[in-house]
Amino acid sequence: MVEIEVDEDACVGCGSCVEDCPNDVYELDEEKGKTKVVKEEDCMACLSCHEICPSQAMEHREIHVAKRLYIDRKVSNVLDKMI
Amino acid sequence: MEIEREEIKGTFKPELIPKETGGDIDDYEEALHVLMKFVGSMSSALEQVSGRGASAVVYQAGRRMGHEAGKLMEKTDDLEKAMDELSEILGIEFYFEMWKPADQDGYTIEKGDETIVKLLFMDCVVRQTLRRTGLPQKGPLCYLLYGYMVGAVEEVMGIKGKLDIDHVGPNACLKTLTIKWGGK
Repeated sequence: MVEIEVDEDACVGCGSCVEDCPNDVYELDEEKGKTKVVKEEDCMACLSCHEICPSQAMEHREIHVAKRLYIDRKVSNVLDKMI
Repeated sequence: MEIEREEIKGTFKPELIPKETGGDIDDYEEALHVLMKFVGSMSSALEQVSGRGASAVVYQAGRRMGHEAGKLMEKTDDLEKAMDELSEILGIEFYFEMWKPADQDGYTIEKGDETIVKLLFMDCVVRQTLRRTGLPQKGPLCYLLYGYMVGAVEEVMGIKGKLDIDHVGPNACLKTLTIKWGGK
């Protein structure tokens, strides 16, 4: 099962992840003003929360990490010259 | 960065199938990246020229491919079995699984004459192409997979289907496949 950790020191409590998550995995802890994980079992590891989080406070463990061949720097350099 | 190129010289007779096709895995990767860029640019230009019609064009292309892939599969009226077979054909480049929320019993939901299943696409060449080109997800190119799934399901199960994009993310995308029982 997916394990999610929110770094409370990094989280700024903006609630972007709460709004963006389609499966309501997160809630905003009003007292602390931080995000908390409430439905970890429903996380599908789309990682939209990683993309939207301004402070990179999330960490997902035990997930399928999709291939990211487009990041290859050597190829990017070749492409920059071509296109 | 300086690129080192090794020139290969040899004899080639057109009637022979060459033993060596030239190049190594890095060359293939490079070529694929160039293709990704081209396809991304083409999709973007198509959208610029034909607006929403671009999605329809890409959808039809995907649907046709899906029908062709479906011909290789065993005919079934079991949606879960069809999805398993399709997953094998699509392979690791379009790695998907059926998905359900933790509190839902089975993967499929029956709703009148429709059956609904959620599909989670984890590895996707389309997503890589879009991110490679800097294009947003959920655009016309995503309709390629939409058409592909619908075409394959139509071919294998002999019924109408539709795929809706629920959510897109950098690591996975959730889609809903709805099939309507009652023939084409």
